[in-house]
Amino acid sequence: MGERETLPVAVVRRPLGHRSTNNNPSFEIANNLNYLRSMMNRKNFLSSAGALIASSAIPSFATTDESTPAIIPAYLRKGDLIGITSPAGYITHEEILPAARLMESWGYRIRLGKTIGMRDGTFGGTDTERLADMQQMLNDKEIKAIMCARGGYGSIRIIDNLQWNRFREHPKWIIGFSDITVLHSHILRNFGIASIHSKMCNSFPEVWEKADPVQKETIESIRRALAGEKVQYTAAANPQNRNGTATGILTGGNLKTLETLAGSASDIHTQNRILFVEDTGEYLYSIDRMFWNLARTGKLGHLAGLIIGGFKIKQDDPGEEFGKNLQEIVLEKVKKYKYPVCFDFPVGHQRDNFALKCGVQHKLIVQTGASTLTDRL
Amino acid sequence: MIKTPPYLQPGDTIGIVCPAGYMSLEKAAECIRVLREEWGYNVKIGKTLGGASTTYFSGTDEERLTDLQQMLDDDEVKAILCGRGGYGTGRIIEQLDFKKFKKNPKWIIGFSDITVLHSHLYSNYYIASLHAPMAAAFNEAGYINRYVQSLRSALQGTWARYTCEPHPFNRTGEAIGELVGGNLSLIAHLVGSDSDIKTKGRILFLEDIGEYSYNIDRMMYQLKRSGKLKNLAGLIIGGFTDMKDTERPFGKDVYEIIRDIIEEYNYPVCFGFPVSHEKENYALKIGAGYKLKITKSRVLLEE
Repeated sequence: MGERETLPVAVVRRPLGHRSTNNNPSFEIANNLNYLRSMMNRKNFLSSAGALIASSAIPSFATTDESTPAIIPAYLRKGDLIGITSPAGYITHEEILPAARLMESWGYRIRLGKTIGMRDGTFGGTDTERLADMQQMLNDKEIKAIMCARGGYGSIRIIDNLQWNRFREHPKWIIGFSDITVLHSHILRNFGIASIHSKMCNSFPEVWEKADPVQKETIESIRRALAGEKVQYTAAANPQNRNGTATGILTGGNLKTLETLAGSASDIHTQNRILFVEDTGEYLYSIDRMFWNLARTGKLGHLAGLIIGGFKIKQDDPGEEFGKNLQEIVLEKVKKYKYPVCFDFPVGHQRDNFALKCGVQHKLIVQTGASTLTDRL
Repeated sequence: MIKTPPYLQPGDTIGIVCPAGYMSLEKAAECIRVLREEWGYNVKIGKTLGGASTTYFSGTDEERLTDLQQMLDDDEVKAILCGRGGYGTGRIIEQLDFKKFKKNPKWIIGFSDITVLHSHLYSNYYIASLHAPMAAAFNEAGYINRYVQSLRSALQGTWARYTCEPHPFNRTGEAIGELVGGNLSLIAHLVGSDSDIKTKGRILFLEDIGEYSYNIDRMMYQLKRSGKLKNLAGLIIGGFTDMKDTERPFGKDVYEIIRDIIEEYNYPVCFGFPVSHEKENYALKIGAGYKLKITKSRVLLEE
């Protein structure tokens, strides 16, 4: 397992006998010792850690505090298993095949959840079926990443019934966006675990060779994120940008989804963080109202930086023209603050939607000319 | 006790403003005529009704704020009727100064986007207000119908007693509590803000228009997950009109969606109560005490 093995082993505060059923946060481990987590992912952890070392020097786990670095699941290695499930909208077998094949070509094994091909109304199976499928993937230690097949709607209907204790003991990557914002928000808020905001199975090209360069790059960005490669993304210049540099944990996602999480157990923390938002098919007035929601629930006051992704705006009805554009809507809400604001960032319901690691420290540089977002792994 | 603004006397003045969307003077003309000639009130027309605005809004934020603020502060004005809803009240709510209003409460009347005002007044100042038809409801002889008439009765201080037909999804029982609620989109949107309402021990009513089924589901989940559906005294589901569905159908209609989300609770619930964006829209006093009695044969809501 390499040189990390030589680092000091740490931390279990309870007798091992409690290990398998434990869901007490204080049991959980150091927040930045990735090596330890990777050890915990290994089956021999229990036996090899037979001699327990209690340590008060290592902070306990509950990382809902905004300043605490998140838990980063182990990056994937060749041969690792990726599960595909539908926590929200329904998808057919045929539709996920291109994604499954391509991820296999990256050297991973793929396991399809039972919800693939299932349908209940707009959902990928009943709530019970979607819950069971996701639960199994969360619990299965062999699965190192869970890709949500598509968004749509439905994650909120199962989130409160998911059991997270196994996932917290063995964090793994959860991948998706749009409705999957519910999952990202929930696990960062409650468990401080990082996840990947990116395209899903339904956005993989049918024939890789025929895909356009941007689509290829965005899909490649998922591969790179899973492999733990350092990434830097660039946003084209926008005269409305507010220049500056920010460092902080990245959080965010679909704006409408974030609004509907307000006041719930999955509501995000934004203090000292870099917040990114995107949305599609909303009227300008509705976008305005959603930004007021962020403002009035205290989410814009103490940001490190703000990233505005793609907003596909629904045309105003004739005679009902809103009269302010997206940039004006955003800037009027943040004019009393000084942090950098970056428009046109390549994230959203669009072709140039790059993989972003929620919960991971990033550096955002907004400047005249192109802006950059770099992860600080 | 909730503070109830004084009821209106003949000759009292009602101010009309548009804190949200634009409304032409012509569209409010019948309302103004009826208020003056048939109901016997004076009417003061705010600058935001039929103003020079060419945008979606009835005026800039500053203009809408100033107009409403003036009406709030004007001792002569005993009630403020919002000409229409639309969108925009949330943009000025935090700049409004309720100091004078708190000392001399007056009725604020409206629904839809005006839910922001109702919720804000209830949660911050504990002052009752009127969720009721607005100016356009008076048009085409609408003012004769019982719903617009219920606004008149409410302003006169007559205690309401509304009945409606039973719905197969109703849960029978009796509830007593303060009435809160309004437009579901706005109630959900306000969660976590300073205008957020408490619902524990209260009778909650909800209505909405033109939303996708999945969005209704999501908003109901937000209310549920933010604890707003748990400890209700009772629940009143009004009209959910012009609902939209996705290309892949949601698989349930809106009343089924709501029924399933509140299945685990035991309080009485009625569906199809006449509070909506349609003509069927009784005047309801936010914050006032009501009794909701749901039997197999009918629904009664009584102040």
